[in-house]
Amino acid sequence: MDIIDIFIKSIWAGIAAIGFAILFNVPRRTIFTIWTLGFLGGLIKFSVMHFDLGIVFASFLGATAIGIASIQTAHIKKSPPLVFSIPAVIPMVPGLFAYKMMLGLIALTRMENTDTYLQNLIETVNNGAKMMFVLISLGTGVAIPMLLSRKESIKKSKFNKNKKLVV
Amino acid sequence: MKTLKEDAQSVGNILLEIGAMLMSSGASTNRTRVTLERIAKGLGYGVELLITQRALMLTIIEKDQQHFFSRLKRISPHGVNFRIVSGISHLSWNIMEENWTVAQITEELQCLKSLPHYPRYVVLGFVGLAGAAFCHIFGGGTTEMAVAFAATIAGLFVRQEATKKKFNPYLCVFFAAFTASLFAGLAEYYHVGLQPDKAFATSVLFLVPGVPLINSVSDLMDGNIQNGIVRAMYGLMIAFSIAMGLFAVKMILNV
Repeated sequence: MDIIDIFIKSIWAGIAAIGFAILFNVPRRTIFTIWTLGFLGGLIKFSVMHFDLGIVFASFLGATAIGIASIQTAHIKKSPPLVFSIPAVIPMVPGLFAYKMMLGLIALTRMENTDTYLQNLIETVNNGAKMMFVLISLGTGVAIPMLLSRKESIKKSKFNKNKKLVV
Repeated sequence: MKTLKEDAQSVGNILLEIGAMLMSSGASTNRTRVTLERIAKGLGYGVELLITQRALMLTIIEKDQQHFFSRLKRISPHGVNFRIVSGISHLSWNIMEENWTVAQITEELQCLKSLPHYPRYVVLGFVGLAGAAFCHIFGGGTTEMAVAFAATIAGLFVRQEATKKKFNPYLCVFFAAFTASLFAGLAEYYHVGLQPDKAFATSVLFLVPGVPLINSVSDLMDGNIQNGIVRAMYGLMIAFSIAMGLFAVKMILNV
């Protein structure tokens, strides 16, 4: 796992973001921006994970970066920030953990042996907890710029103060 | 104080329609509320709202008079469409800054509703690429990525067809998950590629309910606890349907 590997993975994270963007029917002018945001989020997430800080914290930092960047781009590309932030964040949604948890729960219904039952229970709880906290950190990360600026709309927020004067 | 150009009833109806469009296209509760309040203010009215996942209740009040208008509207789910969210955002600022009339707003809404989707093959192709991308991120090689690409396209195609035939949404997801994982499972069964289990695990990730889950967290953070719980539950039900599809394939192929 070196820098080039992280870089290539981030490029693919951006492509996954575009896939979801097109599924959600975003305006055509925003697609390249969404790729950039997905790439940025992936770059930060995989770099932080490279330093063994855990997937929850990594996702949180990635989502926060996407949230801040989406506010900047929202003004330039003239679309609300969620159009950029949601497709860009979705490659980080812990789908693998969610489905492992579900399979674990289903497997728990038909186990007899106590040892395998315990083993499976531990894994299921672990996957479920990871899924929940990654999800919460994604939602919080995207919302953070809005929470900090305490404004109803990005047009009034400090991030756009200078641009407002120009327009 | 603005002079009121429109009657409360037509303003109320147009607000309800905008709110229903926003909620069914994937905007969070707070965003819907802020947008409707902004539009109402632009037209010179005060508005009180009750927003739930499947219905919208609104009372609008003329500020200086005793008249008010109340109505309830059902929200029919349509699937995420960010073009509408983006368009309505523009619309609300136009109303604030350029004093649009209700007739203009109605015309603009019609225009937004008729905006085209991407062509079907483009959607299929790019979502397939997203499936391959997930496979790469989780460490799959080229062969696995190709399997995930094909499996995702097959799954999405089945989901679109099932949605067209108006199946229950959870069943649509089940069919899609079943098709996609059957495709990837067959590859695993015949030992195509080095790590076929990666393709199997990532072939269904395009079905993950990202929008409801992220909106659920932002609703909970904004204090719309009820809507947040409803969305989270919906997301979990979808995740459960996906797991059922995978489980069925696992039982059949015994991989």
